[in-house]
Amino acid sequence: MTSQNSNSKPPAAISCAEFQEQLPDLFASGGSGVPEDPCLVAHLKTCDNCSALVRDLQYIADQASLLLQPTHEPSDNVWKRIQEGLDSDRANNASQHPSHS
Amino acid sequence: MEQQGLRMTETKPGPSLFKRNPPIAGEAEAIESAKAGDAEAFSKLYALHKRRVYTLCLRMLGNVSEAEDMTQEAFLHLFRKIGSFRGESAFSTWLHRLTVNLVLMHLRKKGLNLVSLEETINPSDDDAPKRDFGSHDPQLTGSVDRVALERAVASLPPGYRMVFVLHDVEGFEHNEIATMLECSTGNSKSQLHKARLKLRELLRQPCTPQAGLKEAAQ
Repeated sequence: MTSQNSNSKPPAAISCAEFQEQLPDLFASGGSGVPEDPCLVAHLKTCDNCSALVRDLQYIADQASLLLQPTHEPSDNVWKRIQEGLDSDRANNASQHPSHS
Repeated sequence: MEQQGLRMTETKPGPSLFKRNPPIAGEAEAIESAKAGDAEAFSKLYALHKRRVYTLCLRMLGNVSEAEDMTQEAFLHLFRKIGSFRGESAFSTWLHRLTVNLVLMHLRKKGLNLVSLEETINPSDDDAPKRDFGSHDPQLTGSVDRVALERAVASLPPGYRMVFVLHDVEGFEHNEIATMLECSTGNSKSQLHKARLKLRELLRQPCTPQAGLKEAAQ
C-alpha cells in the first residue's frame, strides 16, 4: 500500500547543498530535523552523508542537556564579597533611616 | 521593573523552562525568609543556586574572573530585588534570566555590540562551520561525553556559544533569545544551527588540549 496515487510524480532530486540549506528550519522551534517535504525525505533516504549529518545534529542537541547539570563552583571569595555588599547595603540603609537602626 | 537597563520583570517562561527548573525542596521558605531580610535565607539561596549561576556565567564569558564577578553581581541584584519576585515563574528561571541580562549588559559595556550577531560577532571564515557535502567520517552518536562537549562549547566563537548555551542548554526559546540579544529570531535560529555544525566539526576532531573551561573543570 502506498500513499501516492498513480498520477503522482516522484519527488525532484535535490543536491546535498539544497538539502542542507533547509536544515536550520527543520531543527528550529524544537523540530527534530526529520523533514516532511517529499524532496527532502527522498534525499535523506538516499544520501548517507546528509543522514549522518542530521543524526549528529540531533545527537548534539540531545546531549546539550548534559550541560544543564552545573559542574563548576565559584570560589569562596564570591560569597564573601556578596556578604560585604549586603553589609554595605544595610549600613547605607541604617544611615539613611537612623530611627530604624 | 528596570534598573540600569536590567529587566527584572517576571515573564512567562516556555514549558521547557518549567521542566528544566523544577522547584527545589526548601526553596520557597528560603525565598519568603529572604524577602524579610533573613541572612540565613540568603545563604541558603546562594548555596542552592551558586553552581548553576556560576556555570552559566562561565559558559557565556569563558573567563573565571569575570564569571565570578558576574555571579557576585547576579546574587547582589537578586537579594536587593527579591521582594519583587512574586512566584509567577520558577525562581531559578527568574534568576537565570536576571543573570543572562547582567552578563549581556557587561558584554555591551565592554564594547561587544550584540545588536547584530551576524555583523558583530560572526566568526571569521576559519571559525565558521564547514559545509559537509562528501566526507564519510564516523558518526558522533554515542561517542560524546559531557567533558568533550563542555570543551567543544568553550571553544565555540562567542556568538555561536551564546545562542547554543541559551537555547540548547538553558532552554530559552528563540523569541526570548532574540529579545535578549536584540537580534531577529531568524538570526538566533541561524546562529544556533551554525553552532551545532561547528560543534560537530570540533567533536569529530582528535582530542586536543583546549583553553576555556578546563581551568575551572577541576
